[in-house]
Amino acid sequence: MAKAIGADRLGDFYTNGKVRKRREWRGLADTMYDYSRWLFIMLTLGKFIIKPRNVKAMFRYRWMANYLAVPMMVDRHTQGLRQEYLRIAHIEQDLVVEDVAKLLDSLFRGDRRIGNDKEFSKKVVLVDENEMTAVMMGFPTLKGLSRETVSSYIPVLLNQKAACHYIDVAQEFGLAGDVCPMPEMEAGVSIDDDAPVLGACAIQCNTTCDGSLLGNGVISKRLELEDGIPCFQLAAPLRHREDDVQEYAAQEIRNAIAFIEKHTGEKWDWKYYFECAKRVNFSTAQRLSWLEMSKTDYPQVFGSNLALYTETNYMAICGKVPAFVKADKKISALAERAFRAKKRAAREYRHRAIVWGVQSHFYMDFLVWLLNCWGIVPLTDMLSMVSTKVIAEEDTPENREQAYYDMAWLTENMIMRNRTHGGYKVLLDELWEFCEQFNADMVILWEHMSCKALDGLHGQFEEMSRARGIHLVWVGHDLFDPRVISRQGVRDQVNNYMRTVFREEPIDPSLEILPDEDSW
Amino acid sequence: MCKVKKLLVKLLLVLLALFAVTFTVYFFNLDMKLTAAIEPLLQKHYDRIERDTHI
Repeated sequence: MAKAIGADRLGDFYTNGKVRKRREWRGLADTMYDYSRWLFIMLTLGKFIIKPRNVKAMFRYRWMANYLAVPMMVDRHTQGLRQEYLRIAHIEQDLVVEDVAKLLDSLFRGDRRIGNDKEFSKKVVLVDENEMTAVMMGFPTLKGLSRETVSSYIPVLLNQKAACHYIDVAQEFGLAGDVCPMPEMEAGVSIDDDAPVLGACAIQCNTTCDGSLLGNGVISKRLELEDGIPCFQLAAPLRHREDDVQEYAAQEIRNAIAFIEKHTGEKWDWKYYFECAKRVNFSTAQRLSWLEMSKTDYPQVFGSNLALYTETNYMAICGKVPAFVKADKKISALAERAFRAKKRAAREYRHRAIVWGVQSHFYMDFLVWLLNCWGIVPLTDMLSMVSTKVIAEEDTPENREQAYYDMAWLTENMIMRNRTHGGYKVLLDELWEFCEQFNADMVILWEHMSCKALDGLHGQFEEMSRARGIHLVWVGHDLFDPRVISRQGVRDQVNNYMRTVFREEPIDPSLEILPDEDSW
Repeated sequence: MCKVKKLLVKLLLVLLALFAVTFTVYFFNLDMKLTAAIEPLLQKHYDRIERDTHI
């Protein structure tokens, strides 16, 4: 039990079971702060579960059981943190928790099986989990809700085994075992009759990969033919940096908006769109300032918290929720204070790493482990390196036309797909530019074995890292499925490299091998 | 005045007791230990639900 950063043996908190022995003592002030945030999360969960319809949903949907692990997810992402870093992580995590609770509540309100609020359901547009919600920036009276976010994406963050049941269901019905387990799980939820049914219409997209087409095919059949919910397929171009695809991309946005207007009876609101655009630009500016700090010896906003927060704020929120602007401001204020005081988040920084590729979703807090166990600072990650373009934010006739191109740009440059699509320039070449900008001496390269777009460049990554003298550590995994490579299997790939190539000893040896096979 | 004082003392004791209980739950991770025990029961319940499972 220690106040000082890095004084605890963090591995000692692990048990062979689902949960940890106890929470950390971080010194009086930080423990009381963490305790107050825990109370806030319990209150958020309490407010959610007090509604009878949410209790009903808890007993209807299998994936809801994973939400029992919400406080533990926050603990995992705040492990070892003190002072400003603890507060930054809580601002990010707690807001995401609150936002997801609201999303669940809205879904169950309109769900035909649960709340069955028909008037509310008419105002709902279903969106994909991996989809920019830019096309909803001009519909203040509509709700863009993602069923897949709450049934697939979040559950795996909460419980590493959350996807297993649904992957098995999908494969029982003949879906291939070597596709990405994320859309496979989403398809499994639909096949298993475990998705809320609501909405006036749905917008699906191709923004992730060919795997998302697999999932969308299965899901849209049920939505359209059985539930009577019409679907629009938003197909963003692959080579998104090319000028000649932009008109097509903008037209897809116009078509999606017209589809939503037709099925909801609502009209696009330019005033609201430009309000949202201002917030998008504000968040981009804050993210850029955090990345600038990460180029120095004193990075402040980095690791899994940066990744999770950016994913939520950039993709799912996309300027529509003012609370995220407030959170951005608070995070920036804390980061600047710690930066001025030359503070560090861990006892020792040994290596500066760019984390690239698609992260193992069942082990999102791996980046916290990298820092605490080996002193590897995950300066930034592929998912956080999204668009930094300033979009038009003043309501003028020219900007109304430009807005379609801006929404198209955001959609094309959705998290992950802005790198996995677009060719070797965005996936391979820009990595080395980032290494130089961030003065990184190593790359942690996630190799999601079902992500063929990334795996295809394996040899070229190796060649180019060798030529530049940058240490490249491959970390293989199967995204949503810990049965293929476990969390310890993920850690061992780093442990082996650190011991055999660098010949280093871990900063916290208790973290090197952990009994978390059965952990949430 | 005396009644107000007594009420304040009672309120303080209640708040202290609440703090003691919730902090114990927080520090020893009792909330997560409880939910970890509940989860298998829920899984059994989900297995019993009739579903229209098809592709």
